[in-house]
Amino acid sequence: MIEPIVQLPNRRHGLSSEDSRALSERVLGFATADYTRVNIQSGTRGFTRTAMNRVTTAGTSDDVSVTITSVFGKRTASIETNQLDDASLGKAVRDAEALARISPENPEYVPELGQQTFAEVNGYYDSTGNLSTEARARAGALGIKAAEEAGAIAAGFIDVQAGAEAIATSNGLFGYGALTGVASTLTVRTPDGSSSGWGGDEGADWTTIESERIAADAVQKCRDWRRKTSLEAGKYEVVLEPAAVATLMGWMRFSLDARQADEGRSYFAKRGGGNMIGEKLFDSRITLISDPAAPNAETLPFTSNGQPTPYRSWIEGGVMKNLSYSRFWAERKQVAAVPGPANLVMSGGSATRDDMIKSIRRGVLITRFWYVRMLNPRTIAVTGLTRDGTFLIENGKISRPVNNFRFNQSIAELLQNVEMLGAPVRAAATEGGSVGTPVVVPPLKVKEFFLSSVSDAI
Amino acid sequence: MKNKLGRRDFVKVTGAAMAAGAAGFNIPAAFSQANSAPGPDAAEREIAMLALDAVKAAGATYADVRVSRHLFEAIGTRERQITNVTKNESYGIGVRALVGGSWGFASTRDLAKDSVVRVAREAAAIAAANDKIAPTKTVLAPARRVPDGRWITPHEIDPFSVPVEQKADLLFRTNEEALKVKGVQFVSSRIFSVKESRLLATSEGSVIQQTFIRLAPSVEVTAVAADASDFQTRTQSAQAAARGWEYVVGLSYPENVLRWAEEAVMKLSARPVEPGRWDLVLHPSHLWLTIHESIGHPTELDRAMGYEANYAGTTFVAPPQNVLGKLRYGPEIMNVVGNRTEPGACATVGWDDEGVAATEWPIIDKGIFVNYQTTREMVDWISPLTGVKESLGCAYGENWASIPFARMPNVSLKPGREDLSVEDVIAQTRRGIYIEGDGSYSIDQQRYNFQFGGQVFWEIRDGKRVRMLRDAAYVGRTPEFWRSLAVVGGPSSYELGATFFDGKGQPTQSNAVSHGCPVALFRNANIINTA
Repeated sequence: MIEPIVQLPNRRHGLSSEDSRALSERVLGFATADYTRVNIQSGTRGFTRTAMNRVTTAGTSDDVSVTITSVFGKRTASIETNQLDDASLGKAVRDAEALARISPENPEYVPELGQQTFAEVNGYYDSTGNLSTEARARAGALGIKAAEEAGAIAAGFIDVQAGAEAIATSNGLFGYGALTGVASTLTVRTPDGSSSGWGGDEGADWTTIESERIAADAVQKCRDWRRKTSLEAGKYEVVLEPAAVATLMGWMRFSLDARQADEGRSYFAKRGGGNMIGEKLFDSRITLISDPAAPNAETLPFTSNGQPTPYRSWIEGGVMKNLSYSRFWAERKQVAAVPGPANLVMSGGSATRDDMIKSIRRGVLITRFWYVRMLNPRTIAVTGLTRDGTFLIENGKISRPVNNFRFNQSIAELLQNVEMLGAPVRAAATEGGSVGTPVVVPPLKVKEFFLSSVSDAI
Repeated sequence: MKNKLGRRDFVKVTGAAMAAGAAGFNIPAAFSQANSAPGPDAAEREIAMLALDAVKAAGATYADVRVSRHLFEAIGTRERQITNVTKNESYGIGVRALVGGSWGFASTRDLAKDSVVRVAREAAAIAAANDKIAPTKTVLAPARRVPDGRWITPHEIDPFSVPVEQKADLLFRTNEEALKVKGVQFVSSRIFSVKESRLLATSEGSVIQQTFIRLAPSVEVTAVAADASDFQTRTQSAQAAARGWEYVVGLSYPENVLRWAEEAVMKLSARPVEPGRWDLVLHPSHLWLTIHESIGHPTELDRAMGYEANYAGTTFVAPPQNVLGKLRYGPEIMNVVGNRTEPGACATVGWDDEGVAATEWPIIDKGIFVNYQTTREMVDWISPLTGVKESLGCAYGENWASIPFARMPNVSLKPGREDLSVEDVIAQTRRGIYIEGDGSYSIDQQRYNFQFGGQVFWEIRDGKRVRMLRDAAYVGRTPEFWRSLAVVGGPSSYELGATFFDGKGQPTQSNAVSHGCPVALFRNANIINTA
């Protein structure tokens, strides 16, 4: 007999602001270093996984971790622990300080920040925080039912995270933010393995996750992709659905750094030195920003070292407006420090997917990508594969399902070759189907996308 | 897939006060230090038993409990300065329960008795909820009871006993040597150290205490063209191992970095590769990753059955009844084993996370695929085909917060009988490319189409290395590629390559795994230019 679990209704996961402040003060009370920083992560994660038309695993995990960074002069070290009693925290502080004292100096260390002003962000959605094991299982079962009705096999994943992060420094800085996130993805395959389809959503708010539509998308793609035919590799006009665009744009995050460019090791490095801020590099319709308050794609309004992360444009009308500057590099270059992107929001256009398809004489529709890796950082070229629904477009219509491809494609060139943009959505952008860095992107029509070789995978 | 390092990819330990105890039970003979391995901490053992009692009382027909501490240390440098010194410690309990045929899992950092009981009941309740909504059947293969298992990674020097200054000094000396090479502008280096204490207790009466030690050093040297029009890096990153600090010292980074630095500079002016068909001579520092992606992952049984379809994908090595004992993976000289016993290899253990003793078995025998990688619940799926009635010991959960599932063991290509060296194999090549180090890597979700780069490419003409090439990668289809294997090097060319960060599962978990191999020659590969 199973005893019921005692669950408080509407329990908010993660420490409250007050509890976070009290915990950070407890840690700072042990500190004797020149500067001390405390980062606290707290919260819960619940997941449900399906495969072979059954729930294969499900679980929950809760944790609170405290990272203590101690600084003596320019010597610094960090200790992370999840043991919160006074004895453990006191020991962690002493360990961090001992480690810092014996660490070599970091000449690039910039002293801890004092109090900052942070943007207002409400990124914690109770719809997500209060989601029960049963609700996850029901959503998983919905995908299984849809697959069974279609004579197919479902494999899916629902990842739910709810928690808080806080930062405090011995210089008087305190920041707190609570966030939720949910990602739901579903792959539906035919029993003989000859076709596969996919659907997925990601957001901060569970009410934006359309479980029935995800199931319908995955089943439809699996149906439409049956009896795939051969298509040769080459450069094609392509329609990229949002999940595909999101996976590619996620890689831009790693390139938007001024120091890498100034040091000559980035696409944004200027010949002869410096970087390309201010230069028109991309199609005029390309605008890329970060905003901690982006609806359903919220992030913390501060970085792990306490810098505010306000609204910031990276690319505006195709012009490179900003690259990130660490506090050290900003000081060196006599500019304002700019933290890297915590989310990416790309502007779109008014084209529908159908408009894009209608405008193409011969091209390829791509559902999503897989195993994308950097190929050449000088051109931000990445390689990867299409997956779960790839179709030939001929004379304005989808004419037939085709094999998958590997692509080798510069993202910089892609942003120059954009022809049509649709409405931006928060897309499921991680390969693993977990809640990831929020990425909001439109579907795109792009010319000369290089599908470099054929993949037999289904 | 091999993952990039995420901030929270590791959670970790300091040594708990653990009582040394009597000799271990059922310990593989290869591990000379097993007899000195510590036994379980009494308080942890008590907590584990409490959780087992609670989860059984809540209806679980089988359960296992892990109490684990994980210590992770990272020391990073660039040029003449430190970039980070961090230590992470994570401690908690995870409970896995089987109710009906469904699994449930719950975990917490809070080891207070009421919290442990709550989590144990929650694991059973989740399993029951799943079984009610989507009932299923699960059969666990029998596992020998291990009432007092003890194991520790064989090592001489515990890396956590080595002062940070000493580690940083080694990295600084390495960087300094690299910077002496004209044209080198940047060098970064780092050492990751891991120590994990894992107590496993199962409802079948096994109690196993293990301590794992691993190290991952790496160096990256960057040369930039004078006009900033180009930059090239040479990375040495595949040298993770389950060994003590003596291993890192033995790598002689300050002496060896000179060659890597010179290669980074040479890459700037190397000749762009001419795309087309070339023979390939692959050094173990490169081939390990090709084995990982094109043999290790495709021979995971859960993939073959569809369990990973929503993420890592399925495999061309399926369905089992069509491929076991039938699929020709490569030529007769191709022999591949799975094991969790190879000394120094990252997936080596005493027992897996279900209490199954470490073992070695053939995956590919004389070119024919003969067995998958399994956990206890997977044995039943194929035992009529293989005749194997026990798990091969591949259950692994990254930490206390991770549900154990099928993870890759060490998967290694056996050397040939004749002791051919790298130079011997190059001498057998008329027109080819010799590749050292792993570069860009990507493979499709059924493990057919792959594209692998490398760190350094050398053109071979008439049995000799003649010049460095750049911007090369080879694209292939796994079955054709392995069937083009023409020569395997000898035992003296055999090396282990490894990663700490092999990602699989949802939520994604990282697994540390090694792959051993000799140098090998492949005929007529498809080479592209990636510039």
